[in-house]
Amino acid sequence: MTSLTVRSAGWRRPMAYLGGAVLLLGGLIVLLPEGIGAFPPEWDIGFGPAVNEVQQWWISNRRDLGVYLFFFDPLSDSIDWLLRAFENLLMAIPWYVHVAGVGVVFGRWLGRAGGLAAGAGMLYFVALGLWEQSVQTFSLMTVAVALAVAIGVPVGILAARSDWVFRGLRPVLDSMQTLPAFVYLIPVLLFFGVARVPSLIATVIYALPPVIRLTNLGIRQVPTESLEAGLMFGSTSGQLLRKVQLPQAVPSILAGVNQTIMMALSIVVIAAMIGAGGLGQEVLLALRHQEVGRAVEAGMAIVLMAVMLDRFSHSLVGQGRMGGAHHTEGLRYRYWWVAGGVLAALAIAGWTIGWTDYPTALQFSYAAPIDGAVDWARDNLYQLGNLPVGTGPFSDFLTTYGTRPMRLYLSEEAWPVVVLFFGFVAWWASGKKLLLGSVVGTVVIGLLGMWTLTMDTLSQTVVAVLMAIVIGLPLGVAASRRDWLERGMRPVLDTLQTIPSFCFLVPVVILFNVGRIPGIIASVLYAIPPVIRLTNLGIRSVDSEIVEASESFGVTRRQKLWKIQLPLAMPTVLAGINQTVMLVLAMVVIAGLVGGAGLGLEAVKGLARSDTGLGFEAGASIVILAMILDRITQGWAARFQPPSSDRG
Amino acid sequence: MADSEEHSNSPSDRPILASGVWKVFGKRVADAMAMARDKVDQSEILAKSGCVVAVQDATFEVNWGEIFVVMGLSGSGKSTLIRCLSRLVDATAGRIVINGQDLGEMPELELRELRRHTISMVFQNYGLFPHRRVIDNVAFGLEVRGATKEDRYQKAEEMIELVGLDGWASNYPEQLSGGMKQRVGLARALAVDPEILLFDEPFSALDPLIRRDMQDELLGLQERLRCTMVFITHDFSEALKLGDRIAIMRSGAIVQVGTPEEIVAHPADDYVRDFTIDVPRHKVLSAGTVMAGVSPDMVLEGEPVAVSARLDAILPRLLTEGRPVPVVDERGERCGVLEPAVVSRYLWRQ
Repeated sequence: MTSLTVRSAGWRRPMAYLGGAVLLLGGLIVLLPEGIGAFPPEWDIGFGPAVNEVQQWWISNRRDLGVYLFFFDPLSDSIDWLLRAFENLLMAIPWYVHVAGVGVVFGRWLGRAGGLAAGAGMLYFVALGLWEQSVQTFSLMTVAVALAVAIGVPVGILAARSDWVFRGLRPVLDSMQTLPAFVYLIPVLLFFGVARVPSLIATVIYALPPVIRLTNLGIRQVPTESLEAGLMFGSTSGQLLRKVQLPQAVPSILAGVNQTIMMALSIVVIAAMIGAGGLGQEVLLALRHQEVGRAVEAGMAIVLMAVMLDRFSHSLVGQGRMGGAHHTEGLRYRYWWVAGGVLAALAIAGWTIGWTDYPTALQFSYAAPIDGAVDWARDNLYQLGNLPVGTGPFSDFLTTYGTRPMRLYLSEEAWPVVVLFFGFVAWWASGKKLLLGSVVGTVVIGLLGMWTLTMDTLSQTVVAVLMAIVIGLPLGVAASRRDWLERGMRPVLDTLQTIPSFCFLVPVVILFNVGRIPGIIASVLYAIPPVIRLTNLGIRSVDSEIVEASESFGVTRRQKLWKIQLPLAMPTVLAGINQTVMLVLAMVVIAGLVGGAGLGLEAVKGLARSDTGLGFEAGASIVILAMILDRITQGWAARFQPPSSDRG
Repeated sequence: MADSEEHSNSPSDRPILASGVWKVFGKRVADAMAMARDKVDQSEILAKSGCVVAVQDATFEVNWGEIFVVMGLSGSGKSTLIRCLSRLVDATAGRIVINGQDLGEMPELELRELRRHTISMVFQNYGLFPHRRVIDNVAFGLEVRGATKEDRYQKAEEMIELVGLDGWASNYPEQLSGGMKQRVGLARALAVDPEILLFDEPFSALDPLIRRDMQDELLGLQERLRCTMVFITHDFSEALKLGDRIAIMRSGAIVQVGTPEEIVAHPADDYVRDFTIDVPRHKVLSAGTVMAGVSPDMVLEGEPVAVSARLDAILPRLLTEGRPVPVVDERGERCGVLEPAVVSRYLWRQ
């Protein structure tokens, strides 16, 4: 089909629909009787208290329950044992052996500069007195990732071999990736209480989807001819899996492991809320005490660990792809033997002379200057002189004209209008099924007693998403036209995407104080990379022949952008916006910690006060909101997909 | 490898017998088959039943040691047909007999044994395993059969040499050119000493010159190995060059089966005739096909030619002498005559 059809399907009709929606809303507001405002609080079905009762019963009876005695407790004990053993092992090895060892591995895979940088990174953990916390976090991560791989790869294989399993699994995986990390903590809390093992379990669950997905994908992507060739030589299905499918899926599986590692790292701080300890705990405590310097130190340690693990697993992917065949075998092993020998000798030497601790004299901290800078920023950047310029006025502006009116409108205007509006947008984006789903979903949120809080979160999300699009889309377009800009932006975007979501809160709190606005700013920063990236990618991957064809008709740059590139890039751009919406929502929820209010704060309260019921209600509302927003943006993106012409 | 001397070509002893083979993709198979029998158009069947009739009512047999070419345009069902012959695709209806065994009723285990020892296949896009070195690709069939590393490497080395890739054994497929990759595919298929080789458009992804080399090489190999080959192609000249016999397919049905000469001289319908238009006929036709009958008392001068002689060898003489040339059969007895007028009709009109 021609792009004309794409345009009219994608652009014109939606505009008519939107007009209809506005008319409908206006009409409803006029027609509905005065008294209807926010969702009536007396309709709250009391789900939270019920959950609390279940938990109470659970806690008082857990000693007698078979599942605990024979399943949960032994499971939890063995995971705990594994974790401790690994931690003790790492702690027993002198710090300089770690520094050298990591340097050696990175040096081999990423060159001398990489090795030195990695060694320096390791030194950071030690020199800032964060060694023990780092080892804790690293052990938890490693065990969590190992478990995720141990569960995920077999499940992925199963999914690849049976369409039936795959079809059952896909919605589960989809919603798992949609949900903000927070939500995982709550049920885990219900069953296991606060401790390291539950936080590890939450981490495993959160980090699981990529391994499963990419194992499945890797196996399914093996070319048909390769499979047929395997079959034609009479392979059994086991031989086919071992000799043909798995080896070809290795790069994809490793990419999944890489993503899993990053996901696991991204909830280090959140997991600390239910007792993961380590660096996350450090950040959390520092934030709670408003010690920005200390929070930055620990936050940077998390970022460093993330970057190092990312590089490490990336080069693992590279090694997997090469099959390691291009080195001569002997040389390859000699390097590792020599390095291992030297390191072991170092360790033994350290143990014998008893010099294993980092000398306190060489401890280092840059918290004080940061705290100083924070104070300065707070005093000076908030408002520049008497001018209406600075973070304070900006924040006020955004509150007065953005978040507050929207929040008030959404939460105090007649609730049926909001429900219907959601339903309408859902129907427009996807169809009747989503219309029904979103109407039911929003009503359930009301019944959970979370209406006002949800509307608060929603209004913050909308403002942040709009800001991200307004800033990100032009940046993406600009990057698609200038190679130097794309190259320059890439490391920045990489960093933004690697930093655990939590760490965004620190600088914004410095600049904007606490409240809703810092949360929104952090969300924009956190969520903007996908829009920029995918806008750039979408425009750049428009078929060059099509672009040349348009140029042969003498289009201007503007015409080319609006008539050719943007319409064709639209599916990709919208995929970026979908990701952005989900990231914003996740961040807005986390921002509850710095006064962002809304559902996030409620979930935190639930966690902190062990009011699991409250946590459940807030969590469920987050899930519902996330699902609706995800499906709507996905449906919207799908509308722009040109009709495919292949019949298979 | 099969030795043609050992086999008679009696119906029961043919390597491949296919009768009434159908393959319908989709759910409403019976409706689609009924419509196809009523000569309903493919696109209409698809619209009405949601089914694609890839192969319809294919019946043919393949003789020992011959190259049987299946020629058809893309979408004519030839790739599906060859996959039915090895049960990579299960036929919807009909019977396929390989070496006297019914393929459709074969249990999983026997099918695996058949594939391990009897049938081998070469693929259009090579179907090589990118994670294995050339030698491990070639040795794959022996490996899944359970051969020891020593045995299979020895055999693989031989095969690599046979296809002229000596010295490339420890390279990865990515490092080879298209032609070399297909040599690996061929070596891999030959390594298991198959009796039957299936080729799914093996040379269509190659450059024309390399394609010609590979065709010559295949003919050379066939001289030595004498296995039974089924060769799929969309290129009519390739079919003429390689095929002992050719089956021509059109929208899933076999339109004509015959030797290259039969097809060029007597195309079954306009569809087949279309293919033969550009064929250099003098290279395909032989004296036996274009000769006219002769009465015993007719007096003919000049040296006689053999029935099997190709026209391109006789033409210069026919044109320069301008008179009829006698044709003799294998026993040396006169059986016909080449009349310039008749010959020219075969060559330029039809």
